[in-house]
Amino acid sequence: MGLGNRLSDRRTAHLFILPLVVVMVVFIVVPVAGTFVTSFFRDITYLEPAFTFLANYKRLASDAGFWQSMRFTSLFVAVCIPVELLLGMVFALILNERLPARGVLRAAVLVPWAIPTIVAARTWELIYNYSYGLANWVLALLHAAPQPVNWLGSPLSAFGALVIADVWKTTPCFFRITLPILRPVIAVALIFRTIDTIRILDLIYVVTDGGPGGSTTSLSLYGYKFFNEGDFGYGSTIAVVVFVMAFLLSMAYLRAGGFKGAVE
Amino acid sequence: MSERALKRVLLALGIVFMLVFCLTPFIYMIVVSVSEKPDFLSAAVDFSATLANYRDVLAVRSLHFLDYLRNSVAIGGLVALITGGIAALSAYAVSRIEFRGRVFVPLAVLAFSMFPQISVVGYLYKLMRAAGLINTYPALILPYIAWTAPLAFWILLSYMTRIPRDFDDAAFVDGADRLTIFRKIILPVALPGLISAMLLVFIAAFNEFLFALMLTSDHSARTVPVGIALFEGLHGEVPWGYIMAASGIAAFPLIVMSLYFQKFVIQDVTRGALKG
Repeated sequence: MGLGNRLSDRRTAHLFILPLVVVMVVFIVVPVAGTFVTSFFRDITYLEPAFTFLANYKRLASDAGFWQSMRFTSLFVAVCIPVELLLGMVFALILNERLPARGVLRAAVLVPWAIPTIVAARTWELIYNYSYGLANWVLALLHAAPQPVNWLGSPLSAFGALVIADVWKTTPCFFRITLPILRPVIAVALIFRTIDTIRILDLIYVVTDGGPGGSTTSLSLYGYKFFNEGDFGYGSTIAVVVFVMAFLLSMAYLRAGGFKGAVE
Repeated sequence: MSERALKRVLLALGIVFMLVFCLTPFIYMIVVSVSEKPDFLSAAVDFSATLANYRDVLAVRSLHFLDYLRNSVAIGGLVALITGGIAALSAYAVSRIEFRGRVFVPLAVLAFSMFPQISVVGYLYKLMRAAGLINTYPALILPYIAWTAPLAFWILLSYMTRIPRDFDDAAFVDGADRLTIFRKIILPVALPGLISAMLLVFIAAFNEFLFALMLTSDHSARTVPVGIALFEGLHGEVPWGYIMAASGIAAFPLIVMSLYFQKFVIQDVTRGALKG
């Protein structure tokens, strides 16, 4: 190919990737940058915005609600990810056996993954219902508890209830990636799931709405609650914290995944 | 007991546990959706089957479930079409043309695909409010395109990388330009990849929650997940029968689509992108 051809080829390439770059910049890069900027402002609906520089970050340091949600999110990741990985590998081991109807079994295991998260969340909310939910019915059937458990009523049981629901929903994610058991792939899956769990919101929004007493409020949910009240300055500050955590992990993800080699 | 028998018993127990664990909530959802009284598990109430929940959810206009369904399908469908086109064009360029940014662009796209939604949704709200788009389709379609493009782009990239460049070169000799080669030669070969990418995009857009919660306010643009999360009965109580019927309607097509395509898609992605 001649030089002129190669130049016009480059121009074609730039034209072809332009739409992708434009949507990513306008609807992700710009909003992320906007969130960083907003976190330096007092920005509350109906009030005049005021540049307050690090005031929101100082508020974070002494905000008990923020630290509670930081603690919850970290604990939730620390408990869910190992359980999901372990269970996913058990499932993978079972399904690697020569079994009759293996296709049906595989499909059954993937059902939780295929169900929309909100649908799963409402189903688990009903399962944990104190007076007519499935969980207490099973406990009574097995004579496993002297009286019904108020699943979503105490911080510890609400935490456990959310862990079970999350493990149920996301174990297939591990399972389908760990099936060809390869260590780098497991590392990639682990980091990916960790990022995914750090930013969790929808499941918790439905099942506990962060309760009781804010004990199951994830960082994303905590930030959302400020947005929802019209406090964009402080909400953005919390969002920045979540972004930085996810960003650092995604750098590790890119390294572990060997994506650069894949492109080159 | 011999070692082999022990292994068989453990395997059987494992299978039973696996099936009970994975399917019980789903079966419970279906059973509640066809129950006349959703509280049938309490001691004083009996179970009786009915299809009234499905009928009401689909027929009672003030529940707006059909509106949510229409919004979700329209938004998800448009996003799948647009994202599919954008991703196919860019994957073509990256997989076969040498240019500056050929390595940087895919990695940047991947890095930004992992942004937490909370870190953009507040500012998106301000942007959409300034543009007067809150509670309209574009308020969701535009961010969804950006949010799903990385996934579609990487699936198509791994797909197109495996199509030999000889295809292009042969067409060059015949005097075809890049756009023609893309449309007439590469796209047909990459069609299975494109379809599975668009399907995954549709599923992602159909299931998305936080953007839809924040950027819509009523049934004129609200999608199924937000509708189901905020479902209220006609009389103020939590209408579990309706919620589970709506859930069943939303979940069924997604289960079929996911199961049908997952094997193919996942093998593809792990083989192409992860192993390199």
